[in-house]
Amino acid sequence: MSDERADAAGPAPDPREPAGERADAPPARVRVTARSAGSAAASARPALITGSDAPTSDIAGVYVRSLIRSQLRLGIVFAVGFAVATASFVMAIAVVPELDATFVLGVPLSWLLLGVGVYPLAITVGGLYVRAASRNEARYRSLTEDE
Amino acid sequence: MNPAIGYAAITVVAVASALIGFYGLRVSRTTSDFYVASRTVRPWWNASAIGGEYLSAASFLGIAGLILLTGSAALWFPIGYTAGYLMLLLFVAAPLRRSGAYTIPDFTEARLESEWARRVTSLLVIVIGWFYIVPQLQGAALTVRITTGLPAWAGSLAVAVIVAVVVAAGGMRSITFVQAFQFWLKLTALAVPVIALLLVVNGGEPPAQLTPAEAFPPAAGPGDLDVYRTVSLMVALLLGTLGLPHVLVRFYTNPDGVAARRTTVIVLVLLSVFYLFPTAFGFLGRAFAPDLAAPGESDALVLLLPDRLVPGPLGELLTALVIAGAFAAFLSTSSGLVVSLAGVISQDLLGGSVRGFRIAAVISSFVPLVVALATESTGLAGSVGLVFAFTASTLCPVLILGIWWRGLTARGAIAGMATGAVLSGSAILGGAALSALLPGMRPFLEQPAAWTVPLAVLVTVLVSRGDRRGVPRGTDAFLMRLHVPEHTRHRAGPETSGRMPRQ
Repeated sequence: MSDERADAAGPAPDPREPAGERADAPPARVRVTARSAGSAAASARPALITGSDAPTSDIAGVYVRSLIRSQLRLGIVFAVGFAVATASFVMAIAVVPELDATFVLGVPLSWLLLGVGVYPLAITVGGLYVRAASRNEARYRSLTEDE
Repeated sequence: MNPAIGYAAITVVAVASALIGFYGLRVSRTTSDFYVASRTVRPWWNASAIGGEYLSAASFLGIAGLILLTGSAALWFPIGYTAGYLMLLLFVAAPLRRSGAYTIPDFTEARLESEWARRVTSLLVIVIGWFYIVPQLQGAALTVRITTGLPAWAGSLAVAVIVAVVVAAGGMRSITFVQAFQFWLKLTALAVPVIALLLVVNGGEPPAQLTPAEAFPPAAGPGDLDVYRTVSLMVALLLGTLGLPHVLVRFYTNPDGVAARRTTVIVLVLLSVFYLFPTAFGFLGRAFAPDLAAPGESDALVLLLPDRLVPGPLGELLTALVIAGAFAAFLSTSSGLVVSLAGVISQDLLGGSVRGFRIAAVISSFVPLVVALATESTGLAGSVGLVFAFTASTLCPVLILGIWWRGLTARGAIAGMATGAVLSGSAILGGAALSALLPGMRPFLEQPAAWTVPLAVLVTVLVSRGDRRGVPRGTDAFLMRLHVPEHTRHRAGPETSGRMPRQ
């Protein structure tokens, strides 16, 4: 895979290119990084320890980090949304005693609702998430390919 | 019940599994490379295969039994088993596909650049897999005892031997087609009896043994919710799904991260449809077979109800179908687990040879057999739930933090996994003895995930922060690989997706 730089003889060196290759071929990275120095600070600013290719990988790194952040935020928002929606649904079932006394096919409505009601919610949240996550990735792609 | 039906159904499934396994061996030999071939697998097939491997004894027998035994609290089990795939979708599916790792030990080693992190993860995967096989064997014991009258151990032994032989002989590899077929078999084997029973019952004959108000008392209904237990169970099931050893390799057969997401949504749909039927069985059982509501016995509800409600040949046919589906569930889940466990064991301990794989397959089938024979099943859904709690406390924090948090280090991961394993393991194994001493602690020991998972995450983060060696060198490159969509990386290349793993 290390001969890809030659193959990818694009018109201009793209800031995305070296970083992309690095993701595929980590053995090519021989730079010694400051592994012991202030890992917490370093972890917040990884660009500080990348050395001479910092200018290119810095821009790529900013985009990647913002992609990761936005995807994480998306995941958390959808997970919390699902939890809150499920909890509200269950509490709504619990506080309406008439549901226990209304029978459909011999089963109380409250049992039926809990038995089937959460699945459509999970599918809906999942479907919406797939679209939103793909949008984030499309945004990342348009950012990096505009360079 | 007529034992001939039991013998016939079990024999047919066992022979069919063995034949498909050996036939599949020839297929996988003629295919130049399983992983190359699998990149063309469609999301629907892939999702069916995930469902086929995932739906175990707990889903097929355990949920209906637990609804009969405890009431609407049991409805949370299928909700959790399904919504676990939602969490997988939100936090794991696409990045894990892009990681190029086949197994969780592969992932931790690549992410943390640590042999030790790999070894600890492998150990946990093996323990989890073994304890996940135990309920399958107990389900087989129950099925054989109820349907043929043979002693219970014969069922566990039969499944363990079939799985060991078929896997060691090289069959039942992760062939997508076979596992996908298993899903539709299991769905049919529950759906047809449920629909038939509903039609029969709707005709008013035989009459229900309890009135609806007696069968579904509000005290066992959704209004009477134990908040701590429900929340803790949900934490275990939602997060435990992420770490199941046999699920991950299926994600690798998606062409790219986007397809992995699409597959996961289809899995959500398939599981949602499937779980309607055990739920319906449980509801029918509460009205028509209340006498089966005893610990250990209620799991037989699905096997016994068709014969009770539909006398004659039709009832026997439905019973045979249910028995076949149950056995397919035990065999497919166990063999999926044994294949992934044997892979881990042979790779890490036996040098990765074919002979090592075979030895490991036999070991992986017989260790759970010993445990299954030595212990008594008190409920299939419950014991699988405890395995999920253990998985959620050990592998889930490492997976999620490894994917989303740059600061994770090998020491932090190992400390977190050890903490989660010790806490949840001792709650699960020593819980009964401890709660006899401290009755107030009982819910916390019986459903430990709500406190063990946060503690494991906390220890992982604190130890990682304090690790003076810092984060692994390749962290940024690896995280980029996980999150950047495939076709961005190699612009305009023909091989924009479905990249092969590194050498």
